[in-house]
Amino acid sequence: MAHFDTEYQRLEASYSDSPPGEENLLMHVPEGVKSQWHHIENLDLIFLNTYYVYNLHQKNGFTCMLLGEIFELVQLLFVVGFTVFLANCVDYDVLFANKFVNHTDSSKVTLPDAFLPVDVCSARIRNNAFVIFVLIISGVFWLHRLIKFIYNVCCYWEIRSFYINALKMTMSELPYATWQEVQARIVEIQKEHQICIHKKELTELDIYHRILRFKNYMVAMVNKSLLPVRFRLPVLGESVFYTRGLKYNFELIFFWGPGSLFENEWSLKQEYKRGGNRLELADRLASRILWIGIANLLLCPVILVWQILYAFFSYTEVIKREPGSLGARCWSLYGRCYLRHFNELDHELMSRLSKGYKAASKYMNCFLSPLLTVVAKNVAFFAGSLLAVLIALTIYDEDVLAVEHVLSSITLLGVCITICRSFIPDKHMVFCPEQLLRVILAHIHYMPDHWQGNAHRYETRDQFSQLFQYKAVFILEELLSPVVTPIILIFCLRRKSLEIIDFFRNFTVEVVGVGDTCSFAQMDIRQHGHPAWMSEGKTEASIYQQAEDGKTELSLMHFAITNPQWQPPRETTHFISQLKERVHREATGAPSDTHPMSLSESEPRSLIANLLTGPSTLASVHFDRDISLANHAAAGINDGGSALRSLSPISSSLHLRGSLSAAHRVAGHTSRTMAGSGTDARTVSSGSSAWEGQLTSLVLSEYASTEMSIHALYMHELHKQQSRGEMSRHTWHRQESDESSDSIPDEVRSEPIPHSRNFPRSSQLWRSHISVLNLDYLSVCFEDPFGTGVKIVRSARVPMGGWAEDGQTAQRHHEPLPEESLEDEMPPHIHKVNALSFCVCY
Amino acid sequence: MNCRSEVLEVTVEARQVEEAMLALLHTILLHRSTGKFHYKKEGTYSIGTVGTQDIDCDFIDFTFVRVSSEELDRMIRKAVSEFKDALSNSGSDGMGQISLEFYQKKKSRWPFSDECIPWEVWSIKVNVVNLANEQERQICREKVGEKLGEKVINVVEVINRHEYLPKMPTQSEVDNVFDTTLKDVQPYLYKITYQITDSLGTSVSTTMRRLIKDTLAL
Repeated sequence: MAHFDTEYQRLEASYSDSPPGEENLLMHVPEGVKSQWHHIENLDLIFLNTYYVYNLHQKNGFTCMLLGEIFELVQLLFVVGFTVFLANCVDYDVLFANKFVNHTDSSKVTLPDAFLPVDVCSARIRNNAFVIFVLIISGVFWLHRLIKFIYNVCCYWEIRSFYINALKMTMSELPYATWQEVQARIVEIQKEHQICIHKKELTELDIYHRILRFKNYMVAMVNKSLLPVRFRLPVLGESVFYTRGLKYNFELIFFWGPGSLFENEWSLKQEYKRGGNRLELADRLASRILWIGIANLLLCPVILVWQILYAFFSYTEVIKREPGSLGARCWSLYGRCYLRHFNELDHELMSRLSKGYKAASKYMNCFLSPLLTVVAKNVAFFAGSLLAVLIALTIYDEDVLAVEHVLSSITLLGVCITICRSFIPDKHMVFCPEQLLRVILAHIHYMPDHWQGNAHRYETRDQFSQLFQYKAVFILEELLSPVVTPIILIFCLRRKSLEIIDFFRNFTVEVVGVGDTCSFAQMDIRQHGHPAWMSEGKTEASIYQQAEDGKTELSLMHFAITNPQWQPPRETTHFISQLKERVHREATGAPSDTHPMSLSESEPRSLIANLLTGPSTLASVHFDRDISLANHAAAGINDGGSALRSLSPISSSLHLRGSLSAAHRVAGHTSRTMAGSGTDARTVSSGSSAWEGQLTSLVLSEYASTEMSIHALYMHELHKQQSRGEMSRHTWHRQESDESSDSIPDEVRSEPIPHSRNFPRSSQLWRSHISVLNLDYLSVCFEDPFGTGVKIVRSARVPMGGWAEDGQTAQRHHEPLPEESLEDEMPPHIHKVNALSFCVCY
Repeated sequence: MNCRSEVLEVTVEARQVEEAMLALLHTILLHRSTGKFHYKKEGTYSIGTVGTQDIDCDFIDFTFVRVSSEELDRMIRKAVSEFKDALSNSGSDGMGQISLEFYQKKKSRWPFSDECIPWEVWSIKVNVVNLANEQERQICREKVGEKLGEKVINVVEVINRHEYLPKMPTQSEVDNVFDTTLKDVQPYLYKITYQITDSLGTSVSTTMRRLIKDTLAL
């Protein structure tokens, strides 16, 4: 009985527990909101709404940014103040000694003598309505900048603490960290803090989309020729006008101005996503453009004055210092937009274009007008003789300098001679536009089809100059911009309003966690691929949806190569791996080629092999990491040396070369087998630890551009072949191997023609210019101690096995390899020579 | 933008508005409330209990579960009746939207007020219909009941997903995540706003704020 009782009581006891009895309750430990960075309201604010995180990285940290902005403000004040001072407070008669100052003690004129007294000065300013107008305008402008500055500082302060607390990077190490590292850390902290609440993990593409949301739209619009920037003018012919002012206005209209198409930084307004009332929306947009155009027109004098002042103060000093700089060229704003990949950050674009700068300016210098040359030579002669006499006289007796205008005429003559000299071609220059254009293409990655094979024509040069313009022209366009911009807005852009509305409706996709982005920037081959750019059969895009110039495909490759950690969607992965594998195969296939035709031909191959084969060095990164860096450097220098030797056919003996190439062939073989065995290890190790990822990304990111160059060249080459005829197109893109028996005769008929036509010519070209280019190459090597040339040689070889995708590629396409190698046997030569010439030209 | 948003749409008769809204809002809040936290000194806490209560609707064939907290109920009833009045006074075609927004507070430095950062927004769009006779009303009564049942399942599905929730706060930060003013229950910080007519355009103040921000961000 007692037993029964106790049991009953225990049951009761457990019920009586329900009012909180401290000891038995489940205890929780709060995780706490350890950092303020989890769940950030406006991720775009963090990711470059106005560049923020990226910008702070690009501006090398908070202090640099702050100083830069402060100086900018001061500079503004200075420009305005100094101009007003010069115009109103200086007695020029005193300076020019037209009027004498009556000093008692000495006859020397001092600078303060030339200044007008303060009261006279202020009276002059007060009486001049125009000066007051300018002052008020610039005052307003300055205040605006000041407020913006304060706002920016607040934002950047926030970002700074984001860097320090969340990303664990101090401001002092920021300038030395690559963007890839910063990005990797952001991806890392998303896992920890979940700054974006929609997904568990952020991908690189998400980050890029956030940063480049509007830029991608602009690139796409330029790509689809939607923006009115190309004009057919009566005298100048076809020309491009795209200035900063115009760009600013476009962005104002589309993205952020009052009443723009975008509701906020991340989403398009709902009504623009529906097709129903597109006509009405187009009308509204047109009237908005009209109003903004009119506002531009009204503000035109102000902006014009500002532009002139700004140009004067920023460029006069430069021109005085080196007058040749006006004859120098720069990539035009349009060029930057045309050449930009989707999802390419500013610094990536700039480094790419800067690499192409040298070749591009060399190319443009090939086209000096012979007429101008004759004139320039003679003008230079006469001016030179006058100058010589004047200088000789001055040396004899320096009193000559005191004669009025002698000093100024000496200066003028000097400038004149410098200008003339820029029109006289370099005596030692060799005309090889086709090769140069190829080198340029390796860096800029885009060019119209009709340039190929027409590099020597003036039309090509003119079109290229639209991308690569004179600095002087650039400044002139900027000066003209305030006048031209309203005209373009009112008369050209307004007419396109319906197309613009359609564009935004059709090409905007909503990505979870990112917001509305340009669908082109998704780089989806299926939606936007162009059948002529290797995506035939994969693309379902109508002509309207296809990106021009293979932009989707090239952008995709570029993005995949610069962000090796990125996991693309499945079909996309397939495309990338297929392409990479092709390039890889054609490169590594070279040394194992069974019939070397002659020594001179095996030589380029050995070079290519040298350039592209051998993930052995890469394997070393993975297998013995500790000594890898040292090894790398050593290997690189060795390779560079051997490449150099094999590159100088005139001086080095034939048998040496033969043995070298044989050695390379062996090396190629072994490295290939190593690649085969190494893939597993690599795919496993690639994701193993963040530390390793960082190390390899550091090493590899520098080589990515070279790999991209090779891919770009390859894709252009393939595109050229493809557009040459339906036959070859057919064979190039056939996927089903069971058709191969039918189409082999086709290949045999069609392929040797381009091969035989093309190959000897380019090899001839190659041989005829090799001496010059070789010198060039050497000079590059010696110019910078780090050896761009050496880097190139090394860099090209590393990526082949370096990426996880690549490893997968090798695995996945192991079987079809032998079958496909049959049909691709011919074209590789062409490609190889091209790739080679790129290396050589470099 | 960095917040989830869920949209529910219901079509009801004028007299059903209040109950339908209450049903949905309470359902959501039921899943977004916890018991009161009792913090211990070692940085741990225990969670109090939450009672639930079945509520039968008068004008709809529907029963829903809500947190049995009179205070919470009063607050929601107040918001809903305001919404109902506004809807009936608007004289428009009877469209409205009530939204329940869960947010976190973020302390700011002195000159700025605290930031409210939403992490989940539920918008309930209401479409009011007028019915001619009693028979239709009867049908409507049943149909709305079924619809609401579907919506409740919908809500539960969404809430069951493993998605972002604010992390459990420490004692000092509990006010930033939870509404601790109620005596018997502790929901996540929420606010209820409503909008009449379908013009879902942003209000004047937000437009102005955006304008200024945009100009600054040039």
